[in-house]
Amino acid sequence: MSDKGGKAGSLLSSKGSLKGKDDSAAKAKARKVQFSTEGLESIMSNGAKSGGKVDKVANGGKSSAAKDPHQNEHRVDQELPENFKCLMDCEAAVMLQGIQDHMVMLSRDPAIKIPASFDKGLHYAKSSSKHSNPESVRNILEPLKNHGLTESEICVIANVYPETADVVFALLPSLKGKRGINSQPIEDSMNELAKLKQPM
Amino acid sequence: MFFHIVLERNMQLHPRYFGRNLRDNLVSKLMKDVEGTCSGRHGFVVAVTGIENIGKGLIRDGTGFVTFPVKYQCVVFRPFKGEILEAVVTMVNKMGFFAEAGPVQIFVSNHLIPDDMEFQSGDMPNYTTSDGSVKIQKDSEVRLKIIGTRVDATEIFCIGTIKDDFLGVINDPTTV
Repeated sequence: MSDKGGKAGSLLSSKGSLKGKDDSAAKAKARKVQFSTEGLESIMSNGAKSGGKVDKVANGGKSSAAKDPHQNEHRVDQELPENFKCLMDCEAAVMLQGIQDHMVMLSRDPAIKIPASFDKGLHYAKSSSKHSNPESVRNILEPLKNHGLTESEICVIANVYPETADVVFALLPSLKGKRGINSQPIEDSMNELAKLKQPM
Repeated sequence: MFFHIVLERNMQLHPRYFGRNLRDNLVSKLMKDVEGTCSGRHGFVVAVTGIENIGKGLIRDGTGFVTFPVKYQCVVFRPFKGEILEAVVTMVNKMGFFAEAGPVQIFVSNHLIPDDMEFQSGDMPNYTTSDGSVKIQKDSEVRLKIIGTRVDATEIFCIGTIKDDFLGVINDPTTV
């Protein structure tokens, strides 16, 4: 792991920061294809952070994993840049459906092809979306931010739609332990969500 | 998980596209180039939702092409380690099963399937509990947790598990 950090440092010193620029060719060269449970944090830290911080992040990830295995398990937002806005599946479904309605007009032009990932993304968002009204779901879950939940955790809760707070804590172990999140607000939110359940 | 993000890209445009439709041509080219692509940092770009800003074009030396810096908003799908999501099973074999969540493929190894589920071969290979109450086969919906991701040039591939609490089959296609 430490030589991974060293390599990352040298890559970044030659490449510079990749913040925000969508330069896939540079990224393909800079990033190795690897498959590991810890790999994602170190890979993301290569692209997202400056060279000086990479070693600290790589080592910090390792030591905190040793202290508390749940701490890093779902801190999705640790590696996200600030302009990444998490979307619930229901919100994404509404957005993508709007785009598809526009695309119906564009698809009459044979030169324009709708990519397969759009169809798959739309189909997935619609089928996994359990709520007909994204705004009311957002209003119910938004106050949980005041109780220590992150945006990504709120989106996972909305997507999975657990029945009780116990399920939430089981599926999101990062909520347990040192963060000391109270189960009562989560329980209340789950009850509110249950009232919104989509009629079959 | 879906994200709504702002990205920036340098678009090169041939002079034949200049004129009063320059902006439309630039946007069409952006959508053709970007939609459907995948990167490790942002995941799959599912759709471009809007253009924030198009900067001033710079003529490249030696050619007539002009480079425009374009800032655009898009919906991306990017799986993360530790994320819980629901996927549809596409293939089952003795090594495990493949599932699909949107544009992402997920593989669940038999080592990460509960021990009380065994592989049954046949016309419709599946994993079944000893009492036959729970079955995972093609088109089953399962809730799984991503435990690792791999990024290729054009796609993201994930490894998942259903061995934890509250994970596993949500919807058996045979009972629907």
